[in-house]
Amino acid sequence: MELSQLVQNLLNGLAIGSVYAIFALGYTLVFSILGIINFAHGAVFTLGAYFTYTLVVGQFENNGLLRGVNLFPQGSPFAGSPWTFALATLIGAVVAGLIAVLIERLAFRPMRARGAEPLLALVSSLGVALVIVNLIQLLVGAEIYNFPANAYGEVRPALSFQLGERVVIIRTVQLIIFAVSLVMLAVLGYVIGRTRVGKALRAVAESPGTASLLGISVDRFILITFFLSGVLGGLAGTLVGTAFGVAGPYFGVTYGLKGLAVIVLGGLGSIPGAVVGGLVIGLAEAFVPGDYSAYKDAVAFALLFAILLVRPQGLLGRTQIQKV
Amino acid sequence: MADFLAQYGFLIVTLVQAGLLGLSLYFPLQAGQLSLASPGFYAVGGYVAAILLTNPAYAGLRETLGQGVFPLTWLAAALLCGVLGLVVGVPALRLRGIYLALATIAFVEILRVVSLNLEVTGGAVGIFGIPQAFGFGERWQYIFLFGPLLVLTLLFARQLERSRVGRAFRAIREDELAADAMGVPPTRYKVLAFVIGAVLAGVVGAMSAPFLNTWNARQGSFDASIAILAFVLIGGSRNIWGPVVGGALLTAIPELLRFLADWRLVINGLVLVVASLYLPQGIVGALERWRRRPPPRRPVPAPSPAELRGGRRTP
Repeated sequence: MELSQLVQNLLNGLAIGSVYAIFALGYTLVFSILGIINFAHGAVFTLGAYFTYTLVVGQFENNGLLRGVNLFPQGSPFAGSPWTFALATLIGAVVAGLIAVLIERLAFRPMRARGAEPLLALVSSLGVALVIVNLIQLLVGAEIYNFPANAYGEVRPALSFQLGERVVIIRTVQLIIFAVSLVMLAVLGYVIGRTRVGKALRAVAESPGTASLLGISVDRFILITFFLSGVLGGLAGTLVGTAFGVAGPYFGVTYGLKGLAVIVLGGLGSIPGAVVGGLVIGLAEAFVPGDYSAYKDAVAFALLFAILLVRPQGLLGRTQIQKV
Repeated sequence: MADFLAQYGFLIVTLVQAGLLGLSLYFPLQAGQLSLASPGFYAVGGYVAAILLTNPAYAGLRETLGQGVFPLTWLAAALLCGVLGLVVGVPALRLRGIYLALATIAFVEILRVVSLNLEVTGGAVGIFGIPQAFGFGERWQYIFLFGPLLVLTLLFARQLERSRVGRAFRAIREDELAADAMGVPPTRYKVLAFVIGAVLAGVVGAMSAPFLNTWNARQGSFDASIAILAFVLIGGSRNIWGPVVGGALLTAIPELLRFLADWRLVINGLVLVVASLYLPQGIVGALERWRRRPPPRRPVPAPSPAELRGGRRTP
């Protein structure tokens, strides 16, 4: 492989891998506290993208109950400048976080209160995902919505530089994705590692019973966890949406499934693991040769299988201690 | 009767088929293993049948065997899925808990992507024009295939539960470590339970390919995994009737809700949420509990005169 191709693949892989990482962190946070996988996370990802799209464009043309609605006849106040666009993205992510809180209240907390089998939470969270996805379809139809090219103002669409014979191209959107993901990771690392909230979260993850004896309101911190998870999911949705378009109500499903591969690869419940897993899968996909690009979507799952064979606890996971 | 069968025959066969797929997930669950692989094996079984029944490479085989080719497709699907189940199950089942579920999701996705891209599976379009089994003229006649299979599976499940193997499954489900200590090798039995489920799903797939007439990559998807899981958990995972009842009911509900048109899928999701909240033991579990309801511990206090006059009871 030529050097330029190598660099190009590396850059593409890092950009998409960093989105995988922040998306998968949403799974990891919930898993580390409740020990279950929130299958509605992919739907929250989708919602994040749609919320931001609603703020920035506010028009849904062809299908669905909202057809012909135009929220901003004078043009969206959020479009046209990088800062307002960032604000819209942030609002979209926060609303997605609130939806995740709602999901916890409706589908997870009643289960815990009844002491139901944890497996049922898989079904109920999937039920929620089905509701969300189909509501989106009812409201705005199944088509792809693209953010307008100049939604974040007059920014150069791509940077390029010469490397050997060929030109390496970095889309601005990829740079933004990478930067935003890094910032989110830093913020999350700070919150979990250095603040009182983070300390309490870690305590709840270690042992909810003990944490509650120590005066930590477990239910409240579970809500906070879902909020953080939803914000990360929603943000990832918008980032992917700006890069590839908001591809219909089912657009979160693929990411939802790949996120599972990411967390197993990194180690279930491990925060650095989710980051490493995301980057590894992003890079692995980027290096799939062009002739086999149809198999790109299988790469993540092949890696999942491989890691289960070689190192079941994941790259950075702790070995499971068998308790009697 | 003929009208009824013409209108509902397809649905009735689908209900039975759903029950069978539910059972294919029920076997691993007996040994405490949550597998979501059924749609994968179902898809493989269907592809095996579809290829044997339509691919020109097997024209000679079809001519020699005549109608006998249909049982052959079931056998081939069962064999292939059994082997595939071993290959997937052995690495995945060394692990506990959620890993198997995740590994099986990965398995289904890999199969889906591969079948979308292979020539022999017809790529994204799939395989069409699969001949009807035994020259069946009407869809409801497939009940003569799925019905006996369901009965056989239920009998098998009942016998299995009472056998040494069934007891080993339950021991592993309740406490894997204790079972191991008592000389029940967990991995071997877990793989066995998984393979039984795989073979069943494969045969159901092989029977379904002629029934549905076409076969494509959408047959084995993550959505199907969850649908089948819902059959079992909402029907009841501790009783062989659970998956059957759950499968039939959750397949029938969307039909009954047809009048809701676009809202149907939304309501479907709500059904899953509500059922998992209010029927944690599944429908069959709830019925059993209701039948064996213990007598109330405290006698209901007789209303005081004040209450009879319409006043409120003071605690």
